[in-house]
Amino acid sequence: MKTYGIIKKTLLFFGLTVFFSCQEDRDTLQMRYPGYFPEPVYTFGNNKLTSEGFLLGKKLFYDPILSKDSTISCASCHAQEHAFADHGTALSVGIGGKMGSRNSPAIVNAAWQTSFMWDGGINHIEIMSFAPITNEVEMAEDMNHIIQKLSRNEKYKSSFQAVFGKPIIESQQVFYALTQYMAMLISDDSKYDRVKQGKSAYNEEESVGYSLFIQKCVTCHPEPLFTDYSFRNTGIGSKSNDTGRYKITLDDRDVHKFKVPSLRNVALTYPYMHDGSIRNLRSVLDHYSEGIRESDQLDPSLYKNGKPGIFLTEDEKDKLISFLNTLTDFTFTTNPLFAK
Amino acid sequence: MKFNLLAIITLFISVLSFTSCTEDDEHKTLAAGEVSIEFDHVFGSNQLPFTLNTEFTHPRLSEKMTFSMFRYYVSNVRLKKRDGTWYSVPESYYIVDLGVNDGTHLHLENIPGGEYTDIEMMFGVDSLRNVSGAQTGALDPAKGMFWSWNSGYIMLKTEGTSPSSSDGSFAFHLGGFKGANAVPTVKSYSLGKLVVDGDREAEIHMVANPARLWHEADGLAVRSKTHMPGAVAKQMTGTFYDGIVFDHIHN
Repeated sequence: MKTYGIIKKTLLFFGLTVFFSCQEDRDTLQMRYPGYFPEPVYTFGNNKLTSEGFLLGKKLFYDPILSKDSTISCASCHAQEHAFADHGTALSVGIGGKMGSRNSPAIVNAAWQTSFMWDGGINHIEIMSFAPITNEVEMAEDMNHIIQKLSRNEKYKSSFQAVFGKPIIESQQVFYALTQYMAMLISDDSKYDRVKQGKSAYNEEESVGYSLFIQKCVTCHPEPLFTDYSFRNTGIGSKSNDTGRYKITLDDRDVHKFKVPSLRNVALTYPYMHDGSIRNLRSVLDHYSEGIRESDQLDPSLYKNGKPGIFLTEDEKDKLISFLNTLTDFTFTTNPLFAK
Repeated sequence: MKFNLLAIITLFISVLSFTSCTEDDEHKTLAAGEVSIEFDHVFGSNQLPFTLNTEFTHPRLSEKMTFSMFRYYVSNVRLKKRDGTWYSVPESYYIVDLGVNDGTHLHLENIPGGEYTDIEMMFGVDSLRNVSGAQTGALDPAKGMFWSWNSGYIMLKTEGTSPSSSDGSFAFHLGGFKGANAVPTVKSYSLGKLVVDGDREAEIHMVANPARLWHEADGLAVRSKTHMPGAVAKQMTGTFYDGIVFDHIHN
């Protein structure tokens, strides 16, 4: 295993993006990520990663067949050009124009996530898609009906048989295929990554911004994934009735806590926060610097010298934004392997 | 010739004793077969036969209830052999469902032949399977017994109507596998003697009492809906599971 790990890490310096391996088994697809990434949480286990499985998952991801009235696909609210967040809308629109109550999160490096959704209610990537597919204000569909529809479609029927080798389609195969696609949405070729690999260098503004980031932001957004996957109250929750993490744990200390999102591709995933209530990055920094409202559950790391907020000068905000822009990964957002 | 006769007699006796030996229960090898567990349902302490779409009056609450759905998970079945060792039924997950034909009848196939004295089963789904991603069979999320928004199995699901409920209906989707309010409960029952031998189906009869959900819990006038893990789920399933008893066996 150790040797395998070393070989794997060595290989990573050559191929930074996902590619189809033809070395041993022509169908086997491999997960590639830089050596400075931790081991992923999801390693496919019983769900054997193959190029056909990945492509089937991609087809399902872009197909509105997964929604009740065939109007909404996963991609409707998770667009590649926005790092698989929604198209700049605060709240997403489901079937029949129904509005969701939270901002669509980006799907980036999902294989490293320890839980899913803003409240972390979903504990495993394989059953993540079950929630939006069945939610009344999202795709509002029934898994049994999806299986009927897929089984009637000759192309899907033969694809499922080719990938999973079973005579009938089951929900597990739908979830497995979607997972193969989503877990492979790995973003690791931003300017930040190139600097990390010695292939590029920050300019003056970015360099100062990075130093500020290390001083002020890494408690919740540590490198290289830019989140610690914890749940925190950032003083936003008090504006809405959404109790966040509390809905899952029923622990009073979790009222208005939401998951810390990754900042990879953050410039593309606007608007921000669990309810999409902040339009742009500048306003996010304004919030943390001078906009935080005090509340009982406000995260302790947001207090400085007994006062809520992480104070930033206007010049510091400019520089932080310059650094945050280096987390944009256009290789990821334009990778044809991920596109429809 | 005398010697030959003696040899034949000896051989005859030994064959006879060998044959009689194989007929003895102690030494006979029994063939693998099916064990079925039938859950019979009764309502209240007067043990009224329980069926869906029939109005019952809860004896403690004096509330009328008509059930349209009653389902619960049974899992991790183990059988104790006469020699004290346990046989764990592989992939042992079942939904007892009063709404489908034969839904109260669990079929445990290919159980090793032999004599069993005890059965152990879990009411609910073990924590591991609640955190292991997409499952199949009885654990398929398409069965409608899995919470999409708060990962975990709905270990008991019942719905119906009642004039005591403010909106005329009730729905209890109960589950949870974490901490003090974890629902899964392991119980074991002494069976006396259960024989598994090939085609002769051994049947275990259990009795469950849906009225026991409200053995201690508030009535429908106070609470008619619960769709989450927590103290209510723990209390209601706890008294229901506690009331599931072994009745008899057919060998």
